[in-house]
This record gives sequence, C-alpha cells and structure tokens, in this order.
Amino acid sequence: MTPTSKWAIRGISILAYLSLASLPFIYALARLQQVTGHTPWEALWRFSDVYGATEALHYTLLEATASAALTVVIGLPIAWCLGRYQWRRPAFFRALFSVPFVMPAIVAAMGFLLLVDDGGLLHTLGIDLRKETGLIGDLAARTGWDHPGHFIALIFAHAWFNLSLMIRFVEPTVARLDPAWEEQIGLLGQGKTRLGRFRHLWWPILGPAVLCAASLSFLFSFTSFALVKWLAPFNNTLESLMASYGGSAGIENYRVDTSEIVMSASMVQFLILLAALYLTSTLQQRHSTRFSLISEGGARSARGPPNWRARLIVYSGAGFTLAPMLAAFFASFRVREGSFTSGMAPQWSVEGWRAAWSGDLSTMGVGEALGNSLLYAFCTLCIALPTGWMLASSIHALELQHRPRMAKALDVLTLLPLAVSAVMVGLGVLLGVLKTMPALFQWSFLPVLPHVILTVPFVVRVMLPAMRAVEPEWKEQALVLNLNPLQTWYHGYFSFIRGPAVVASSLTVAFSLGEFGASWLIVRAGSWDTLSVVVDQLMSRPKFDPLIQPAAMAAATVLMAITFLLFFMAERFRPEGDGGGF
Amino acid sequence: MKLNALLLMCVLLFAPLTGCLEQTESNDDCSVLPAGHADDGVLRILTYDITALSETVTDEFTNQTGIPVEMIKVDDAGGILDQMMLTKSAQQADLMIGLDNTYLPTAIENCLLQPHAATPVNIASSASAFYAGDQAIPFDQGDVCLNYDEDALSEANMTVPTHLHNLTEEEWKGKIAFPSPVTSSPGRAFLVATMEYFSYETEGDAMAWWTDMLANDAIITTGWTEAYETHYTGGYGEYTEGYIGDAWMTVSYCHSPGVEAFYAENYTHSTSLMLDHSSFHQVEYTGIINGAAQVNGANLFIDYLLSTDVNTNMPENNLMYSVLEGTDLPETNGYRHHADVPSVVTTMTYEEIDANMDAWLDAWKAATQQA
Repeated sequence: MTPTSKWAIRGISILAYLSLASLPFIYALARLQQVTGHTPWEALWRFSDVYGATEALHYTLLEATASAALTVVIGLPIAWCLGRYQWRRPAFFRALFSVPFVMPAIVAAMGFLLLVDDGGLLHTLGIDLRKETGLIGDLAARTGWDHPGHFIALIFAHAWFNLSLMIRFVEPTVARLDPAWEEQIGLLGQGKTRLGRFRHLWWPILGPAVLCAASLSFLFSFTSFALVKWLAPFNNTLESLMASYGGSAGIENYRVDTSEIVMSASMVQFLILLAALYLTSTLQQRHSTRFSLISEGGARSARGPPNWRARLIVYSGAGFTLAPMLAAFFASFRVREGSFTSGMAPQWSVEGWRAAWSGDLSTMGVGEALGNSLLYAFCTLCIALPTGWMLASSIHALELQHRPRMAKALDVLTLLPLAVSAVMVGLGVLLGVLKTMPALFQWSFLPVLPHVILTVPFVVRVMLPAMRAVEPEWKEQALVLNLNPLQTWYHGYFSFIRGPAVVASSLTVAFSLGEFGASWLIVRAGSWDTLSVVVDQLMSRPKFDPLIQPAAMAAATVLMAITFLLFFMAERFRPEGDGGGF
Repeated sequence: MKLNALLLMCVLLFAPLTGCLEQTESNDDCSVLPAGHADDGVLRILTYDITALSETVTDEFTNQTGIPVEMIKVDDAGGILDQMMLTKSAQQADLMIGLDNTYLPTAIENCLLQPHAATPVNIASSASAFYAGDQAIPFDQGDVCLNYDEDALSEANMTVPTHLHNLTEEEWKGKIAFPSPVTSSPGRAFLVATMEYFSYETEGDAMAWWTDMLANDAIITTGWTEAYETHYTGGYGEYTEGYIGDAWMTVSYCHSPGVEAFYAENYTHSTSLMLDHSSFHQVEYTGIINGAAQVNGANLFIDYLLSTDVNTNMPENNLMYSVLEGTDLPETNGYRHHADVPSVVTTMTYEEIDANMDAWLDAWKAATQQA
C-alpha cells in the first residue's frame, strides 16, 4: 500500500470517528441552545444561577480530587510491592486488580452498599458509613461535615474502581528498574537518605506514571454517575445532576429549566475534562519516554520473594478488590421472608436466581439480556477495534514524521468522548437519528453507536503505547526474509502488538457489557435491554416483592462473572512488562 | 500555544453549528398526524416499569389478536411524557400506558394523543371524574398520601400529626423524606395535594409550608424509590442495600401499608396519615399516541387492558386499584385491611392542573431554594 493510500484510509477513519464522536454532542448542544435561547458561552456564564449546579460542581471537584488522591495512597504501595518482588503469579494479581476497572458501575455500587450496610463487613468493624452513627456520627457532629460517611464510601469505591490505573502505570516501571541504579545512587551523597533516593531516583522515574494514573482517576471520578447515585444520595455530581434532569431536556416550550441545567453543567464539565485530558495526554507521553529509558534489568529476580510486609499489602489489596464482588454474589441468595408475629428476616434461597432467569420481574430474563449484551459487545468490538487501531496508528505515524503538535492534537481529540457527558451522548444520538433517519429507531443495533463512541478512546490508549514500542528494525528484518507483504506485516509488526490488540478487544467488550450511561437514555427509543440495563431496571423498581433485590444481585453476578472471565482471558495475552497503561 | 488555540477552536465550533436543527413542525389544531414509523404489524407500547404488563399478559394479548407487542420502557410517568415530546416529529410508539393526571393535561395540550375507539364499560366514577374525553382512558388508580412509621412514633412518644403545620415542628426535624415534584410523579402528586390543602387554610400557604419544611431539614430525593426505600423506616427499605432509615414519614400511596402486609404475611408497621385534602387521587391513563402506526392494535390493547380478566388483577400485578366499578383490593395477607382510604381527597380539576402546574413547580423550586 502506498503512503498516500495509507493516509487516505487514515484520514477517512479520523474524519468518520471525529464526526461520530462530536456530532451527538453538537446536536444535543444545538437543541439545548434552541430551547433555552442561550449560546454555549452564555450558558457557561449563567452556570452559577442554575438550580443545584454550583453545589454539584463543588462536590464533583472535591470527590474527584479526593478519589484521585486515595487511589494513589492505596494503589501505590500495592504497585510498588507487586513490581519489586518475585511473586509466584504476578499476572494473576495484575488481572485481579484490573477487574474493578471494567466492572459495571452499578454492580460496584451494589457491592459497596452491601459492605457498608447493617451487618456488612465495615459495620461489623464499628464503622457505620451509611447511617453515620458512632465514630462517623461523631466526626460529622464535631466538624459540621454533612454526610462524611457517604463521602468516604464514595471515594473508596472510586479508588477501588481506579486501582488498576495505578497498577498498570506504576508496577511495570518499578519491575523494570535495574536494582544497580538504586545501589549506585546510594553511594552518592544525594542518595544517602530515603528522602534523597525518593527525590533523585524514584520520583523522576515514577512521578509521570503516578500523576498520569491520578489524572485519569480524577477524570473517571469526575464523570461517575451510578456510584454517586447509590452511595451519596444527598449529593449530586455534575453528571448525576444531568442524569436526574436529562430526561426532559431538549424539549421545546416545556421545562426549559431542565435544558438550562443540562446545557450549563455539560459545558462546564466539558471544559474541565478537556483540561484534564490534555494533562493526561502530556503525562502519558512523558511516562512513555521515561519508561523507554529505564533498563529491562528485572528488579523482581534481584530482590527475590516478597517479605511479610509486601505480602500483607498485596493480599489486603486483593481482599479489598474481591470484597464488594463477593458481597453481591452472596446477596443474590438472601431473600427476605415475612411473618405476622416476628416481622421480616432474610433467608437463604435460590428463588432470586430463578426469578432473574425467568424474567418474571424484568423486561426479559438474564439469558436473553446477556445475549443482547454479548451481541452488542461483539458489534461494538467489530467497529471500535479497527477504528481505534487506525487512530492510534495515525497518531504514531505523525509522531514518527516529527509532527508532535499535530499528533498531540489528534491524541487529545480521540479522548473527546470521555469529556462529554453520557447523557449528552444519549440525547444527541436521539436527536440526530430523529433528524436524519427516524427509521433507525427500529434498528436493533442502534445502541452499538454510543458504545462505539465511548470505547474507541480506550482502544487508542492501549494500542498507541504498543505501537510506539515496535522498533522499525523488526519490520526491516522481516523484509529480508523474502516473505510476502502480508507475512511481512504479520511477523514484522502485528506479532509484536497482538497482545495489546487482544487486551484492547477484551476491554472494549467489557466496557460495552457494562455500559450504562448512554444506554440508559438510548433505551428509551427501543426495547433491546442489555444486562446492565436489566440490573438497573430491577434495582430501580419498588421492592415490595422480596424477590426483586436478589434477582438484581443474581443478574449482577452473571454480568460480573462474564466480565471477570473476559479479563482473565485477556491477561494471558498481555506481554510481560507492558507499561502502556490500562 | 497553537495546540491551545486548536482546542479552543474546537469548542468555539459548536456555536455556529447550532443551526443544524430546524424548528419542530407545529400541529396547533391537534390534527391526527401520519404514522411516525413504519407499520410492521408490531404494537409498540411506551410505558414505565409497569409490572402489570408482564410477558404472560402481553403474550395472551398476542394469542387473542395475533398482534405482537414490543415494550419501550422509560423510568416513570414523567419519562413517558418526555419521550413523546422529544420524538414528537416521528413518534416511535403506538400506545402510551402510564401518564397520570398531573401529566395528562400537558400531553393533551401538546397534541401528543389522538382519539381512541376503544369501548370499555363499567369504569368507576372515581376514575373517570378527572378526565372523560376521548384522548385517554384510565386503567388504574390510587391515592397519594403521607405514610408514617407507627413503631417509631410510638417509641418516641410522639403524637400523630393533625395538621401539616405540625410537621414543621422541632420533633419532626430531618425525619420526613419527600420525592421531588420536579423529578418524581408521586412527588408531583403530593405537591398538588399541598396546594389544595392550604387553599382550605386561613393561615399560611403551600409554598411557605414547603420553605418551612426545608428549613426543618426535610429530605428531598430524586424519586419515590430513594425516599421510600433508602430513607423511610416504616417500609421494606431496611432489608435492601443502601438503607439509611432517617425518615419516619414519606410520600407514598395510602394503600402502601396494605402492599407491605401483602408481601410480608400480614405484617407492617407503616400506616397512612389521614388528613382531609392532604392526599391526591392519582389516576393513570392509557392513550393512543398521535403519530401511531398501529392504531387498530392500540385500540384492541386498551380494550384488553380494561377487560375484567386483566384489570381486576391490578392490585396484585401493578400494586394499584382497578378502575372497574365494584372492585376492591384483595383480602389476602391483610392487603385490604392495612390499606387506608382517605375520606376527603383533592378536588383539583383538569383545568386547574393544566393552567398552574408549571407555575407551581417554579414556585416550589424557589420556595425550597429559599430555605
């Protein structure tokens, strides 16, 4: 293929994706402008006048910053211990710590609620984060802080969710650093103390990785919706505020106030997240550069098996990761039963599983919803993987051509969907389809569209560092073997990025399975419920019927198990020492 | 610097592109619109999570008529109206089921429904009193009122309130959860009830009462589920995830204690606060969407929904009263026994709600922000 035709294909992919990613936002924004009579800039200026927006912004900034900090506090020691010692199965731990990141947020929310509720693990230990009695109640009374328990539960849930970011960025860096460097700096005056070694060795190497993971944690905590909805019921983030009012936004001459809320909140969120994404992109590039500079001398073999402190840290982290998932699993077998004399009490039963499978309490049974989810996930994969691949290869090609600014601009643009509220994506898709081809509403595969928009950035994040790591010499060596072009491409290029491609595929499928935000809105235009929508449907229903809750937990367990399985399969293909992130 | 300019340009681009949506076509005379979607023989029903419409019920309709049914489900009654408004130019469903009498006037005013030709008989006057036109027809009903935890009041030696003003007193501080009328249909129904309640009072008005309630730390939630399940101590909430249990009173249906008992072997410690004019008689409607493709199927489904076989099962299947004359709640497990029936409910008319709802919601937002 000639360079011109290569660029033509890349150009079409870039244009198609950027249109796909930006048009729903533009449509939504255009309709909101039409309804409110305000331009996006006016909406920004009016932000402080909008009902509940200022409080939501304060809370969002506070919880996102605290969540990012807590992710570093919890994740850094685990990543450090995992990278520094020779564990028997490091891949197992890496996979385990990565699972929460692809877990549907609603499942995570249920798991955490079970841990903090009466009779839950934390409550048993005397920490009441839900009703805020005892220690937490005292904290609230002494400080005047409203609902500290809910805030603590929320930031721990976000840290649980984002733990894998720390592991993915920091652990390979620690593992690849030659122990000789540490010995050498120890001989110098600046490396005599622990602080000195931190300042002159560890921070310059680990700093970009830690900051990159922290900025991504900030970003995902900022846009969190389901965890906020369930864990912090007294507070709104910008995303949950938009979700609450998003339903009636964009309708002419009706509830203009809700359109104003969504428009102002989405513009503020967009600008803040754009800045965060720019920072993330810069940090990730810096991390890639530092990572490529450090040697591949293994710290693990030099330091041997983990000591008791490292074991304690990593095993505690594993327990922290598993606890909410196990809690949800056990709750699927607990059904409350009532009696006139003794009131109600939960009993062990498989009736919740039976109800979930039969679909008596939801639009469809778990089997059918899982089928829909898998079908959509597969379709999403078929579009998102090649698109993300093309975008990543375009960015890398620009970097190789020494056009860093253009590469950076494209890199940031591919991340744009992460800066746009899922509510806006859903509304934009609805309006766009209505305007262009309403018949599409009866097309069962419409929900794939927002799934593709939201998963492509992750494909780019995985593939780009992998492409950067491929040496051009490898392709040249393949060329001298007298292979045909396809074989040359396979042996000189693809075989080196096959692992990351499988990882990107699994991530795409997992994200699509758990996608909740946009499908939550787009489902209004169809009846193709996915498993995550069925879980939410059940959880949102009045639960007078005692089977509804265990049925929701059973559906969540199926979703959890499928996601878990996918991720473990993908981990087998991840190259040892892969430090590209995700 | 160039990069920053590029990003800024990207944002600025959105403003000029806002001309890409044209104005929605008007239908001021409420004429019947052509089908918004192709008629593929499937009856599409826009509804919220109505448990009465289980797969068994819709399959039976398909067996009787040969018309397959597809459900398009939204969150609640407000979601049905939002969906119909958003897709006004090309409606995607044929029949709506679930708009209540606080939303129906808006739907009719916006020409979202068209006349039906269903021929139901035996509709009770309590259901048909609010609206008797041909654009919508009631299919279930119930009274929205305050529920309280009898045990909690008894343990705290508190007396049952005899006036809504009692709830602004210190002993009720932070102990009542209200679903927001802006985002919840029971919340909206209760707002209407308070408007009527204070219209009979010589002292104070509804909005001043709402301001006082917020000043007394009343809990405002997005929907009924959070208020009843997460905050209310009298219901099943304490057996669900995320229960906080800080409210001894909340907004629900007067027959909710009966539903509690029905599912818990005749056990409940929840009851309703029976104050004249403090409850709202909610009626839920079904109607054919203006722009439907399957008008015949929609008419047949209305008849089916109002048939004795289906409608008399509303108390068990949809936890609401049937609209058929001469029906009542079942006696099973104390359902009927624990359900309360208000002696004087709101008399707010269709015209009053149609004329005032937007203003009431704006006033409520202002009143609660003031607190």
